[in-house]
Amino acid sequence: MTEHPILAARLPGMNADALGHVTQTYGPADAPVSIALPKLDAAAIAAVAASVKTATRRTLKTYPVARIVDTLDAAIARLLDRAHPIRRQMDRLLPRLTGYDADMVGLGLTRYLMTFRKPELLRFLAEDFPNPAILDGFQPLPKGGYGRAYGADLTAHIWAGNVPGLPLWSLAAGLLAKSGAVGKVPTAEPLFAGLFVDALAEVDPALAECIAVVWWQGGEEAPERALLEAAELALAYGGNAALAAIRARTPITTRFLAYGHKVSFAMIGREALDAAKTAETARAAAYDVMRYDQQGCFAPHVIFVEAGGRSSPERFAGHLAQELQAFERTYPRRALSLGEAADVAAWRAAAETSPGGAVIGDPAGLWTVAFDDGTDGQFSPSSLNRAIRVVAVQRLEDVAARVAPYRRLLQTAGLACAPDRLFALSAELGLAGVRRVAALGDMTAPEAGWHHDGRFNILDLVEITEIDGRALPTADRLAAYVD
Amino acid sequence: MDFAGKTVLVTGASRGIGRAIATAFAGEGAGVVVNYLANTEAAAETVAACEAAGGDAFPVQADVTDLAAAARLVKEALDQFGRIDVLVNNAFGPYRFDPETRKRHWELDWNDYQRQIDGSVKAAHGLIQAVLPGMLARADGAIVMLATDLVARPSVPYHDYTTAKAALIGYARNLAAETGPLGVRVNTVAPGLVYPTDASRGTKQAMRDAIASQTPLRRVATPADIAGPVLFLASPWARFMTGQTLYVDGGLVMA
Amino acid sequence: MDQEHIIAELLAFIEADPPSDPAAADAAFEALALKVFAYQFQHNAPFAKFARARGKTPRTVKRWADIPAVPINAFKSLDLTCRPPEDCVATFMTSGTTLGGVRGKSYHATLSVYDASMRRNFAQRFMGGQERMPLGVLFPTPALLPNSSLAHYLDLARQHFGSPGSRHLIGPDGIDIDGLCQDLERAEASSAPYGLIGASFSLVHALDALATRGRRFRLPEGSRILDTGGFKGQSRELEPDAFYDALAMTFGVPRRRCINMYGMTELSTQFYDDGNAACPSVKSGPHWIRARVVDPLTGQSVPDGATGVLAHTDLAHFNIVATILTEDAGIAVDGGFLLLGRAAGAAAAGCSMAVDAFLKAASAA
Repeated sequence: MTEHPILAARLPGMNADALGHVTQTYGPADAPVSIALPKLDAAAIAAVAASVKTATRRTLKTYPVARIVDTLDAAIARLLDRAHPIRRQMDRLLPRLTGYDADMVGLGLTRYLMTFRKPELLRFLAEDFPNPAILDGFQPLPKGGYGRAYGADLTAHIWAGNVPGLPLWSLAAGLLAKSGAVGKVPTAEPLFAGLFVDALAEVDPALAECIAVVWWQGGEEAPERALLEAAELALAYGGNAALAAIRARTPITTRFLAYGHKVSFAMIGREALDAAKTAETARAAAYDVMRYDQQGCFAPHVIFVEAGGRSSPERFAGHLAQELQAFERTYPRRALSLGEAADVAAWRAAAETSPGGAVIGDPAGLWTVAFDDGTDGQFSPSSLNRAIRVVAVQRLEDVAARVAPYRRLLQTAGLACAPDRLFALSAELGLAGVRRVAALGDMTAPEAGWHHDGRFNILDLVEITEIDGRALPTADRLAAYVD
Repeated sequence: MDFAGKTVLVTGASRGIGRAIATAFAGEGAGVVVNYLANTEAAAETVAACEAAGGDAFPVQADVTDLAAAARLVKEALDQFGRIDVLVNNAFGPYRFDPETRKRHWELDWNDYQRQIDGSVKAAHGLIQAVLPGMLARADGAIVMLATDLVARPSVPYHDYTTAKAALIGYARNLAAETGPLGVRVNTVAPGLVYPTDASRGTKQAMRDAIASQTPLRRVATPADIAGPVLFLASPWARFMTGQTLYVDGGLVMA
Repeated sequence: MDQEHIIAELLAFIEADPPSDPAAADAAFEALALKVFAYQFQHNAPFAKFARARGKTPRTVKRWADIPAVPINAFKSLDLTCRPPEDCVATFMTSGTTLGGVRGKSYHATLSVYDASMRRNFAQRFMGGQERMPLGVLFPTPALLPNSSLAHYLDLARQHFGSPGSRHLIGPDGIDIDGLCQDLERAEASSAPYGLIGASFSLVHALDALATRGRRFRLPEGSRILDTGGFKGQSRELEPDAFYDALAMTFGVPRRRCINMYGMTELSTQFYDDGNAACPSVKSGPHWIRARVVDPLTGQSVPDGATGVLAHTDLAHFNIVATILTEDAGIAVDGGFLLLGRAAGAAAAGCSMAVDAFLKAASAA
């Protein structure tokens, strides 16, 4: 069954047919998906950028932020409707593109999209602006004078990775900042961004012209340079090496924000391990491990489990194993490349043979639980793909010091403990570099308006134009009505 | 049903149902630990039957009602095979099934019950204690208990024997609830009258005919009839079954 | 079986020509492999535990391919040896250049089997029928690198196959380029074949140094070059074709006589190709080692023609473990296998970090 290639790019003001395409094939041999990725050279990128800028000045810049919220809300409503053609395309294609289980993608997408509805978008705005009207007009500033927030005419988004939906974070934030966007999709998942733009176009075609979705072969420098020069602000996602290369190509006059890859971990207090709660605790932990096969930065690499509960850390590891086994049936892991499989094998071997270590799980199976009785006790990275290490600790209070060496790489800590410990532990974790503390089971689904890697989603995208506090009194003297 | 590379420990495997189960597992490629109490010669015959069926077998003498002996049995099995994937609790205390000479309720004392409970439940408990840590360490394993359909339909009230087997079913269900979340399944096979076995030799033709005449499948069970459901419950085909009791009696009991 | 007997059997097996009938050769390899496995299971406690956890015991292992493959990562944390480490005559360690810096160890209770394996194989695969030739070794001596299996291997080559004048051309201060040039000039003048053997990255260093001096040589007919180990970040990385072209150009040794040896600290036997006229070249080993291409997780052989990782069963590695699981990708072909580079080290598909990326980032932070 072959289908016509699906076009990944959205190029307002440009005839995409005139461009050459690279056709990339994804998915299983019995159900391949062909995606046409237009080849854009530097000149084409510059043209697209110019077109987006024009559209942005014509429409987006003139919209009150409330209208942008309503438009986004209406677009998201379409995507939340499983019967809507665009959502159906997402449900049908994204699993085949990325290899993730279809049910997992479908449920994950819904849960994710729900964090971009109107109430959540308002929360986004409220998180960053005490008075969101500052995006629409000059508002009094606490220090005196007046300020108005302006997003860039053009923001470059350089996305990475295959976790479906990632571009929505920065696209939504950029639109709320009234900034046009040219987004470069990764080869691993080039589809979502374009489909989102399609949904937006159904609601407000003029607004959709303020977003272009482009692609070039990874490592091609000329189109990237062209985009980075056209944009005032660049948001880049990826590994450190890739980010360093992008930053090196970014002109000094383009502000550069990097979202590097991160790691997360979980902590389970003895109070979550009595005979009644152990299995539920394990299920929540397994859920976080299962989601997107740990490929997301919210996914745990290690679960620190406190000794002294009714279930020992080792017994907890057994429960976790069976919960992962259950997920293996309901949400199977995606097929691994040889390299990924070799990494899992190497990780298993290291875990199994380290002093005090053991592994649970058939090597031919789709998950691995490693157990460390505390002999090593340290944080260490997972091979990913449902490989999780349970580390026994005497006290959860000891964990922060063990993750602190990696403070620049830390993101989420999933926590199962009583409320009196939640704040004390969070204080220590924050000091160690953790930027999000979530309930076990919620690790991979950040709530609306969360501070991505500890930063401000919209505030980081704007600049303030301020009217000096003395300007108005001075202007007053020039008023015609002054006596 | 491929059991190649799997190790199965069958208690009371020198004769009768145990031997049939051991041989059937061996026929599907399993390595079988043939536990027996006293009859070395019979155990050797079971081992030979397993090998003839295409599998590997290793005899270990042990009185499974003795906790230390049960632990030694498991250690010897692990030395030979590295791990135990399936445990079949088939052994039970010596018992003669003879409807005419059976003890009636007022002739029993508590020791009769105790002996059967020890033979069934205590033996199973000791063995499970020895085998379970290995299964939990892998979050994988299957345990099959042998009970009797008499718990549901006491055609002949063998009080002490049947009470012990009923307790075993309760034990299995509780264990299943406990170890299911840890990856270990526990199920029970409850056969009807199985003939011939050493224990059932005292059951006369007339009695066997009477049971057969009430059985939809029109005969009494042979040892080989019991092996199939045991293998099934031990296999991945039954991967979503635990805490169940399968009656294997030609339809005499339907539950 | 005790050590004395297993050594005697192995030495005899290595020295004897294998049966010409493939089925008989298979049977002979299998019989000895099972003995070696039983020996290791009995005497190497960490390995026995590893095997037992997989349900692999002398009772259950019936074919050589059933012997559980120990991932090379395990050599970092386990003392995999049949004799206590303190009784061993040599401990070879991996370079520790892999991420994490922890070194894998192979303990050798004796080097007699290692040496016998190396000698017979080297004679067949590198020497081209000659007993000795002048050999230049581009690698430090065993005295400088006592834990390097490659240093031992290359020195053994020099001792057993080098004619007088063979010597190491790397000292504590690096490559002796003057000495190298002298030896090459002498070889050019002599018209007798010369052998240059060493680490791939040392050969790159030599190529670069000679290029700086504008020196090229035309070694006599029959001369040959052996490189091994890849570049490991110690020199610039060259594509194989560029590397062998440069060797051919600089030393005047045709690519078909540029032999690549594929060996590992975790083995006692090496694989060779028959020259690199075309890359990638087919690698193969002698009758006491077998390579399989397997799925790294199940350990099962992949279908013919599919890419997998290499697992090697090396009977000469008798004191340690017979079968290892490498992290090298390979593909089985007629007469051996193609080596396709490191399989492990995949990047995360999403925004998380897998092991390699994490360790890199953590060491940079």
